[in-house]
Amino acid sequence: MLLVVDALNRHRFEDILEEMFRLRARVFGGRLGWEVSVADGMERDQFDALDPAYAIGIDDEGNVVSCVRALQTTGPHMLSDVFADILGGEPPLRDPLVWESTRFCVDTTRLTAAGGMQGVSRATCELMIASLETALEAGISDIVTVIDPVMNRVLKRSGNAPYDYLGKTVPMGKVPAMAALLDVTPERIKAIRDFAGIDYNVFLTEDEARDRFARRGAEVAPLLAAGQPMDKLQTYCLEQLSAASTEEERAKAIELMDALTAYARAH
Amino acid sequence: MKPEDLLFGVQDDTDVSEMLRRIRDSYGLDHVAYAGSNPVTGRVFGKMTYSEEWQSHYLANAFYNIDPTLHEARRSIAPVDWSRLDRSENFRTVFRAAHDFGISDQGLTVPVRGPLGDVGGLSVTTSLNVNEWQSLRREIIKDLQAFAVHIHDKVVTSDSPLNTIMAPQLSSREIEILQWIAAGKSQQDIGDILSISHRTVEVHLRSARTKLNALTTAQAIGRAIAIGLVHPE
Repeated sequence: MLLVVDALNRHRFEDILEEMFRLRARVFGGRLGWEVSVADGMERDQFDALDPAYAIGIDDEGNVVSCVRALQTTGPHMLSDVFADILGGEPPLRDPLVWESTRFCVDTTRLTAAGGMQGVSRATCELMIASLETALEAGISDIVTVIDPVMNRVLKRSGNAPYDYLGKTVPMGKVPAMAALLDVTPERIKAIRDFAGIDYNVFLTEDEARDRFARRGAEVAPLLAAGQPMDKLQTYCLEQLSAASTEEERAKAIELMDALTAYARAH
Repeated sequence: MKPEDLLFGVQDDTDVSEMLRRIRDSYGLDHVAYAGSNPVTGRVFGKMTYSEEWQSHYLANAFYNIDPTLHEARRSIAPVDWSRLDRSENFRTVFRAAHDFGISDQGLTVPVRGPLGDVGGLSVTTSLNVNEWQSLRREIIKDLQAFAVHIHDKVVTSDSPLNTIMAPQLSSREIEILQWIAAGKSQQDIGDILSISHRTVEVHLRSARTKLNALTTAQAIGRAIAIGLVHPE
């Protein structure tokens, strides 16, 4: 389920945004090997400073599992700058009715629990629906989206096939990047909804998003609430837990904490 | 009515007020206002259909320093319904005064961003009931998006330093499509000739119109010919 964050409400969601930048670091800096800059475990670029809009997926356990970023093509955006190679040096589109979508990603390490349809997860479909519905509401007619061939196949499989591409496919780190065009129409949204069997509202209210995100640290809270001084071991455990990027790592971190707690009680 | 028909005959490049009046009257809005700033000269530009009395009151109280429909709304990328703005002290100050002048706090700001960091916004107000307003909003939102950028570009490029920096940067594809239209081909034909979808042709054409600051394709062709991008057959 998706939360939309932009300049108007971001002061209420800085913590969720940080989790989103961590997810981007894992996906673009790690798994996909794009040439992105990661600092403090977070991937950010100059376009994040330009008040973009984000759709951010938060799962039932409060984890940030997906995100995408949108900018207007009338102002500075990625195709006019860092992705200029895709357009072969040609000036980019400039159209009040076209938004650019970038940094589309889903945390694939968490997908087993969420289930999937033909290799496309529910989280991915919810994110696509949220992006298109947000754009439709804003009067946008088309989205130009910078993606890799894997994402391109995901779009094609899920009723969201691009109707055309701009420029050419160029290397972007380990994988190629391309600019695809999507019409923002009720028909496209319906096709994805039908494919995924999603007939519900995919958006979270601000309060719902806060409630979900609060669940995330549920297992850490009792430790902190015990009011004991944070010794080095405890700090280490909490750091391991917050740094865990997969369910497996997370489970291991919790296991370690439980074992140490049991040891401390016994002695 | 299509946007290009609405502003047909508005030729004077500085006559933004007339454009705003026509937008207001055609869509049955209470008021329409544009405000923007030029990043090079720092000049702030505002035009509106509000009464002289409200404009004077607004200026005298320097509401432009605190007005959330200017400062907050334009930082969004999507149009901002004013119901989304925090009911802050600033909001209440401006709209309590506006109320005394019969101005509704129901409205929408369409934010605009230009390539040089220039920002602006087209705002509309209405006293329709909520449902009527939501339905009107859906109907006119695309037109408002197009007008907002058109008016913004007109205002920004009317300042001479930017006029030269912002010479239209059209792609070869956009020029190619304009050239085919000048030669009398339909969008469908052009799609077939270039082996691209007709929707792609439409996207390139709209982008070319935006870059040439033209509301109609005919206007765009005229300007493209005038600056030597397209050669008449």
